[in-house]
Amino acid sequence: MVLTIRLNDVLRDAIQRPVRDLVTRPTGAAIRFRIQQAMDATPHPTARLDFGDVGLLDFSCADEVVAKLLRDTADDRYVVLWDLDDSQADAVDAVLERQNLAVVAVLREGGPVVLGAVSQECRTAFTAVLEGGGDSDRLAARLAWTPERAADALQTLALRRLVVAAHGTFSPLPLQ
Amino acid sequence: MRVVEIPRYLDDKGLDAVATAMGTWPPEERLLFDARGTTWSSPYGFVALLTAGQALAELKAETPRLAVPDMEEVRSYWAKAGFFKYAAEYFDLVGKVPRRAADESSDVLVPVRPIRDMDDVHTLVEGLGERVSRMLTEELGIAPSATPRFGMALSEVCQNIVEHAGTGGWVAVQAHNWKKRAGPRVVVCAVSDAGIGFRRSLESAEARKIGDLWGDSAAIEAALFRNVSRYRDPGRGQGLAMIKRYLLKWAGKISVRSGTARLAFVPEWDDDLPGVDKLSFFPGSQIMIVVPSQSGAESKEQSAKSKGGR
Repeated sequence: MVLTIRLNDVLRDAIQRPVRDLVTRPTGAAIRFRIQQAMDATPHPTARLDFGDVGLLDFSCADEVVAKLLRDTADDRYVVLWDLDDSQADAVDAVLERQNLAVVAVLREGGPVVLGAVSQECRTAFTAVLEGGGDSDRLAARLAWTPERAADALQTLALRRLVVAAHGTFSPLPLQ
Repeated sequence: MRVVEIPRYLDDKGLDAVATAMGTWPPEERLLFDARGTTWSSPYGFVALLTAGQALAELKAETPRLAVPDMEEVRSYWAKAGFFKYAAEYFDLVGKVPRRAADESSDVLVPVRPIRDMDDVHTLVEGLGERVSRMLTEELGIAPSATPRFGMALSEVCQNIVEHAGTGGWVAVQAHNWKKRAGPRVVVCAVSDAGIGFRRSLESAEARKIGDLWGDSAAIEAALFRNVSRYRDPGRGQGLAMIKRYLLKWAGKISVRSGTARLAFVPEWDDDLPGVDKLSFFPGSQIMIVVPSQSGAESKEQSAKSKGGR
């Protein structure tokens, strides 16, 4: 199960005005605080941050909302960004890349991707997990990699909370 | 009273002449800014002049005088740009000041407005998003899907004022032809504040590392090219870096003046110097972002390539 947080609603609650743009650090910090409260109050391990009705996302706000949230989130919790447009994805990608962080995002025009600092090897493994999870041997066979190479990439993805690892198998984060 | 002649064209280079004419800072006598012969001002000129007035007010210096342009259409345009509305707070205006209000609905101009706190940044971005988007699309040929990136840059550069200046500042955006109306069509975003400047803002974080070479130029270089921030938070110092990233895609320009130095990220279509030191002091910091017409930038790039191939 997934906790869906509509960022536009959180924004309006934080700013107390009918605004759409996620800009400035104080606004980002206020939104992150509310997201963290909601995540603390739910039993669901995955939070889906819905960018659906959000307009502009600047770098400072992306840093406050996404980068700091990832840094502060417990190891057994997952974050997925949902319905981002190109410029929002660009802002998130840039701030995460700089801080060696990464997150799963579902783009408005496209499927799930990893934004931020992730090697090409891990991106390939991530795509393979999306196409059908499994253990590292199965993924190694599908990718024509050695089992060690596949295991290494999958472990990295799991440690960075980009896939779910359980009982030796790896599966995509729940998106719905 | 010291007379500070405002050049015929008041842009970033014109400001250097204004700073020289202002003499020592703080000024030893009352200043008269004489704009009677001025025929054109970029948004950079507007926000910088207001900064001069604001800085003098914050020093509790005698209120400077400003002789407004002689030409009626120039005065009218300055009023349309919102300049006189705020100039009246910081200058004793001399001459005929048009009563017209700032044009808040123009497609080619975002009138001067103050940036004093984060709410002003929110209001700016929320209120101007569509207008700036239309300017970029219609004036410069930038794809509508890419225009939010200009809003992001605008937001970041205005937040710099609130976070680093220690006082308020000004922003204005305008579409015009570069270089006295002979160059490519551009959108110019100008931001200026009367604050502590880059050198003082970054002093505690950087001065010791740089040693004797520390100064305005080194401070701007640290912020603009090495993404240094005075905050230790790893997410800080990225605003200017991200703006540069977009400007690279658009063959755009960013120029930062603070204290006695100006550094710029210069695209091929412009002939500015990447760094100028030992300028006359001007208070605070001024940042200019220039985005050129994309067809113009492309043709310029193609022309440069074909020249190189000969």
